Amino acid sequence: MQARTQDITAPFIRKSKYGPEIRERAFDLPEIESLNIRDLFPDTPETIFREGGDISVIRKATEEALKTVNMDMIKEGDTVNLLCSQYGFQLMGGDAYAEVLRATKDVIERRTGCKNIRLRVATGFRIREPEEIIKHYELDKYFNGAARGVTCLDKGVPIETDIGTLYGMAAIYDSDWIVHVHHGELRELDMHRMINRATKPFAMSYARMETRSIAHIGFGPRSENFVQKVIFDSPFVQSKYTFGCFLMTSPAGITGVEADNDLDAVDRRMLLFNIRPYGKIRQILSKIDECIVILDGAGEPRYMLGGGISFGNFTEAELDLFDLNVIPVSLGYNLFEKPAGSTAKSVNPAIKALVINHMWLGVPQMELPGHIPTIVVGREMEEVIERDPMNSMFMDYAVTAENLKAAVKFAKKITGLDKIMVFDGAFGYMHVSPSLAEYLLKVAPEVSREVEEELLPKWLEQRGIDPSSL
Amino acid sequence: MRKIKFLAQVDVDTCIGCGACQTLCPTEAARVVEKKAQVDESKCVACPNCSDFCPVDAITMVPRAEPRIVYLDYSRVDPDKITELCRKANLHPHQWGCMCNGTRVREVAAAVLLGAKTLEEIALMTGIRSGCTAYCVHHMLRLLKAHGVEVEEPKNHRWYNSIQTIWETPKEVEEKYPGHFFEEDRKIFRKF
Repeated sequence: MQARTQDITAPFIRKSKYGPEIRERAFDLPEIESLNIRDLFPDTPETIFREGGDISVIRKATEEALKTVNMDMIKEGDTVNLLCSQYGFQLMGGDAYAEVLRATKDVIERRTGCKNIRLRVATGFRIREPEEIIKHYELDKYFNGAARGVTCLDKGVPIETDIGTLYGMAAIYDSDWIVHVHHGELRELDMHRMINRATKPFAMSYARMETRSIAHIGFGPRSENFVQKVIFDSPFVQSKYTFGCFLMTSPAGITGVEADNDLDAVDRRMLLFNIRPYGKIRQILSKIDECIVILDGAGEPRYMLGGGISFGNFTEAELDLFDLNVIPVSLGYNLFEKPAGSTAKSVNPAIKALVINHMWLGVPQMELPGHIPTIVVGREMEEVIERDPMNSMFMDYAVTAENLKAAVKFAKKITGLDKIMVFDGAFGYMHVSPSLAEYLLKVAPEVSREVEEELLPKWLEQRGIDPSSL
Repeated sequence: MRKIKFLAQVDVDTCIGCGACQTLCPTEAARVVEKKAQVDESKCVACPNCSDFCPVDAITMVPRAEPRIVYLDYSRVDPDKITELCRKANLHPHQWGCMCNGTRVREVAAAVLLGAKTLEEIALMTGIRSGCTAYCVHHMLRLLKAHGVEVEEPKNHRWYNSIQTIWETPKEVEEKYPGHFFEEDRKIFRKF
């Protein structure tokens, strides 16, 4: 592994009321090094932007992508809602996603003369996060005061679909037109399964809580992704929809911007582009049979990134969730299999200890301290978790260390391990201990072969795609 | 089970009586009385809706002197009746009713069988709807419907009565959307 160069820094954590003050970082621990994703998989797509890079490339890429998009439907006097989701702002500090939004607004204005463009920042359960985002990236200024957050508990709007009335968020759809600005990072493979990934926010970010529940609970581990499609295809949404603009990623970083009026086309391109690099990174995680994990980033544990892939994907790494015949354990599908008295959702048994240095609230994660020895770093992080109604008993099962070094020392002691992986928001690099880096480098060639020759053809065929078209 | 460690406290001088807290309170603990919000301590389950949505930050969550435990002992109810109700609702008794506090569907079913007729009553009996307050609404509505309870949708947007499932999806819709594993997913749920 190469020595760390100056351009590799600890990923940015935005200040938030949902997390503690930012303190010592796992990146700076003497036993943590930066393993280049490309050293594992040389075929990982090239990037145009990594954190701290020249943001103008994002604007150029957005403008280029939008050249072929039809905007004729937008007239000068119309209103347009630019829709975005909170997680885009956790990618590499969020600046790239913010710039896609700004550039898209500018292009719409230039091409259509329409100046009434509003920003809608959709969130999950961090209700005040949109305010933080809008302020931090100065989006209120950029959108002339017309930027606001939208939560799944806000007023809904009925959407008549092929399965009856579902509910979108009134503030998402309170304009003549909507522009769907999203990103292609893998995120929750256990839920989207790379089926209709491009339209997922229509049943999630842009939807009321009842509709999100219908997707997650009313339907199954693959069919849930029908819900976003049936909403997107509804006459109501189609009467407002214009185009989608996507910040595309690989585990290495941002690879470009895709835009199209046809979201099915974007979905297919996203699948074809993502499935190989993310398939390999996910598969190599499944080869780790024991390690300590340190969480040290923005966002909730499940969506915190390391090596460009989320911790949630590591907690289920023993299941190949690109394989549509495999059923995830999240949302409790495994409970249908077990007899009475079954326990909580299981977590990848390879994770032998969990050190939480920095995380945000926002998702129930009781399965973590319930299954993994969990060490929280610092009283402030402990207090943040204690106040979380979604994890009200988390600290009953976790312990607190005074500082990060002490937490890591304790984790090593109880596990007997020195293999450590950090999830801190990093793209392009896995921040790992030397012993884990050595192991990953050793197994990477076989993982690559396994994905190319055995898994990728299966994954593609399951999705109706001829493997030779990749 | 829900361990309630906090309580919503209203700063009446700051409160403008807008009613946002009343709209979003999952247990009707928050009410606007004479243009000021009040919180019924016995009903508050310390979900953050009121404090998060208050437009003037008049509500803060303060530690309770003693945590309050909310738990429904579902063994009070005939297990066969719980199973029967769950089957009718196409839910598994062991399934998560509320992921935020680990409440299973069997507890929610027990609450319905013990006479709960509204989402708010179920929440007060089981501690459900005290975290994100979102995903658990679906289970409650399905169980109430399966038990023949007519629910009245609130006039505000506290919740909407929308609980479509894979079980009612028309065949022609499934045919219109091939490749979505409808029957395969139903088979998973049928293992119960």
